[in-house]
Formats: sequence, structure tokens, C-alpha cells
Amino acid sequence: MTRPRDTHEPFTVDSVVVGRSARMRGVFDFVRVIADSETSVLITGESGTGKEMVARLLHHWSSRRSKPFVPVSCAILSETLIESELFGHERGAFTNAIKERPGRFELADGGTLFLDDIDDVPLSMQVKLLRVLQTRTVERLGAVRSIPVDVRVLTGSKRDLRQLVAEGTFREDLLYRLNVIPVQLPPLRERTEDIPLLIDHFFGRYFRARGKEAKPMSPAMLEAFMRYPWPGNVRELENACERIAQTCICDSVVAGCVPASILFHRAAGAAAPASAATPVHPGVSLDDRIREVETSLIGWALKASDGNKSKAAVLLKVKRSTLGDRIKKLGLGHLESRDGGAALVPQRADGLPGIRQ
Amino acid sequence: MEGYARVQAVLDRVRPLLQADGGDIVLIEVLNNRATVRLTGKCAGCPSAHVTLHVGVEMAIRAEFPELEELIVAQA
Repeated sequence: MTRPRDTHEPFTVDSVVVGRSARMRGVFDFVRVIADSETSVLITGESGTGKEMVARLLHHWSSRRSKPFVPVSCAILSETLIESELFGHERGAFTNAIKERPGRFELADGGTLFLDDIDDVPLSMQVKLLRVLQTRTVERLGAVRSIPVDVRVLTGSKRDLRQLVAEGTFREDLLYRLNVIPVQLPPLRERTEDIPLLIDHFFGRYFRARGKEAKPMSPAMLEAFMRYPWPGNVRELENACERIAQTCICDSVVAGCVPASILFHRAAGAAAPASAATPVHPGVSLDDRIREVETSLIGWALKASDGNKSKAAVLLKVKRSTLGDRIKKLGLGHLESRDGGAALVPQRADGLPGIRQ
Repeated sequence: MEGYARVQAVLDRVRPLLQADGGDIVLIEVLNNRATVRLTGKCAGCPSAHVTLHVGVEMAIRAEFPELEELIVAQA
């Protein structure tokens, strides 16, 4: 439920502010401006774009920085679980509630609560959340008293909540409560100029963790990294860099050191989406294929007309002499006999000859 | 087209990436839909590269040569 934190590196602004692109600079400048307010911030961005990092920055730059920062992912299925996780429970509130337990709201008292994956919260839970945000008090499961909490609530969503409101799966009133200040994080593929910087950053971190100097990356591999669309965004890039730092034993990061999915993406991409326009195909022989089709059709016509060339020529809408020439050319003379052709030509249900693909 | 030429065509497309880094991949044979390749040059001796390229090249070949039973990376 709570994101595992990397404990080997203390959280510093420098360790997360990576990005020189205009869009990221804009995001960081904006985050700095809104950090010390008390309002709710909704951080929207695809998986792996750094929503929690921005939430941490907001906390770090606020006057609450000495108080707890509590991140929670709401992407869990059981409603009771979310409820007890967020609001806590009293002893005996449900079957396994052996001890009383404070919820995340209480744990974040005085500090910042980051509710990630808010788009996964079921409707019934949204009502309860809205009430807590309005009254600033929580009730543990099975409790009678309310506990006042002083918490700044930040939320993260990978989907556009407006869209969910339109679809009827997210409460409009909760959206307005959460989305006082929106922050949009761009996907990595829209800020590729930051990729070299991010690689340096993560190589520095992970090679150092292995007790080695960061290695340079070959130009071809840098190009492959720039070209790859990074569906998992910065998180995926970080994982790739960590993997390379763990496995690379050469002087520089070259083709053999890079995960296959990234290295061969262009090859796979060329075969997949572009295939509609320019299919990558081993090639066909037009002559062979025409011969095949001719053999098929002539065989069918001869069979259908009991080996009678004149009738077959009518079926094929050609002159009898033309058919004769083709039969000779294709070496189909034997089909002119009464039972020829049947074995040669695969039949389709509609009686036309099947053509092998 | 026969298997050898089809596999070779795939390798020809992924090859520039390897060559740019001083490596290469050589197709030795395609027999009963089993392709055997060998890494040469820079990455030939690296165990990580063998794993990485095995997976990647197999993926790339299979995309266009689905009959592929197995890709064998021969040890140098």
C-alpha cells in the first residue's frame, strides 16, 4: 500500500529535480509557487511520470516540511481496506482488527497526505473522503468519536478526473474539493530532451551504489533511448538504468548492455504500426502467384465443365484458343480428361477454387 | 522465401545498432526452423550481452518469422 522508499539515498531536491525541458521547468517553478499554500493540489500524469516526487517537493518546500509526509496508494480493491488504511480502526471493528490502529490521516497530522491513484477510489468511498475533507475530522472504523486532523491533502491521478466525472465514476463535488490547483506532468516521450540528463542522473546513482564510476553511453544507444517511447515513463527509464548499472561489465554502455525491448524497439515498431502502410514482408514472386491462381481457376473450370475446353473457356470468360494456350503453358493437359483437376484444386464452400495464401 | 533469407532480412535490420557499437551478429544456419547465430566483435565475450541480445533478436525474428522454434546463440 505505501510505496517502498529507497532508504540508501536521503531525499533532497537535487535528487528529484531532473529536467531542463521548458515543460518541466514550468512545472518546478509552479510547484515552488504553490508549495507553501494550504490548498489541495491534484497531480495528474501517466504512471511513472513522478507524481509522488512532485508531492514530496510540495511538502519539502512547505512550512509543514518538519512534519510527516504520508504517501498512500488508493489502488486497492477492497473498500474496507482503504477505509481502515485511511481512517484507522478501533479494536474489534472487524474480524482481524486485533489492535486499534490509527489511519493515514492521523499519521499525517500536521503534515501532508498524498493520496495517489485517487481515480481508483470507488464511488461509495468518495463520499466518505469528501466528508473528511470538509469537516477535517476522521472517524476510525468502529469508533464513536471524531478525531480532528490538520492535514494538507495532495492527490495523484493517472486519468483525467473530469473524464471520470463525465462517465459518472467520480463525484464532481470531490473533484472540485481536490482540484483547487492542478499540476500536469508530461509523459517522458513529450520531453525527450531530458532523457540524457535523466540517464546521467540514474547512472550516477546506480553505478555508485555498486561502487563503480558511471560509464558513458555509446551514441547509438543514446539514440535508441531517445527513440524509445517509454510507456512507463521516468520509472521505466530508471529501471533500465539500474539494470544496466547492475549488469554492464564493459568500459562503456553499448548495444549488448541495453535491455532488448529498448534496443530493438525501432525494429519492432517498424513491423507493427507501420505495417499497414508498408508491410515488412519477405516478398512474393508475382509470376509464381499468378501461375498458382491460373492453375487453380483453369482446374476448377475444367472440372466444372467435365473437362470440356469450350465450356471451361466460357466460364473463364476467355477465348477457347486462349485457354488452350494457357493449358499448354501451365502443363495442364492432363486436366482436359474427365476426372482431372479435382485433386489438384482445394475447393471452397461456394464452389470456387480455394487459393493458397 | 526460405527461412535463412527471412531470418537474415531481420538480422540485417537490427545489425546497424550492433555495428555502431563495434559488434555484429552472424547467421550460421536455419535448420528445421531453428536459427543459429553467433555474436562477434565487441559484445561477443560478454555474458550480459548474450542474454540481452538473445531475447531481443529472438523477439525481432519471431515477429516476422513466427515459425521460429528456437534461436540458438552459439558460443564464440
